[in-house]
Amino acid sequence: MADAELKQKVEELIAANPVLLFMKGTPEAPRCGFSMRVVQALDTMDVEYGAIDVLPALQPLREVTTEISDWQTFPQLYVNGELLGGADIVEEMLESGELAEALGVEQPAEVAAAPAAPPAQSPPLQIDGS
Amino acid sequence: MADLAEIKATIETALPGAEVEVADETGTGDHLRATVTAPQFDGLSRIDQHRLVKTAVKERFDDGTIHALSLKTQAPG
Repeated sequence: MADAELKQKVEELIAANPVLLFMKGTPEAPRCGFSMRVVQALDTMDVEYGAIDVLPALQPLREVTTEISDWQTFPQLYVNGELLGGADIVEEMLESGELAEALGVEQPAEVAAAPAAPPAQSPPLQIDGS
Repeated sequence: MADLAEIKATIETALPGAEVEVADETGTGDHLRATVTAPQFDGLSRIDQHRLVKTAVKERFDDGTIHALSLKTQAPG
């Protein structure tokens, strides 16, 4: 059973932030590779997002998100109040253009060109964020 | 240390007709990668597709056999 006060706080945060990432660490200093991958995906988008470090309250937050979204692992990206997914889903949606669509932004040119047929002059995608 | 064949069978039982591949991503047997193509995914969002698979293997997460499962899901066709 999740802590009722924390659950309400999380629900308020999800409602107040159109794009909200629950992650391990911070966008500037992710402390988990999966969280870093979602930060990198979001950083290719021209979008503002809120980020919450789950590490200080990992287990209580896990219980809360299990009740809210039936999802236990972090990172979790919420868009317009709905759980979009974790790192695997976000990366897949980034490549397919669905992430831009969900966020209501234009698909960045470098991403759109990358998966199928990258132009000869295009620089390699920077995936090492360190 | 997860039994890859057992994990694959568990997913196939939960999602009859599914094509499932399970791989050990790190060589440690607890960080797995699965590719699942299942008719049950038709019309579902990715998160719901993942939920179906995660639910199928929940027991192996709960008992600590698996620590991480990277998923790639799609509907057939």
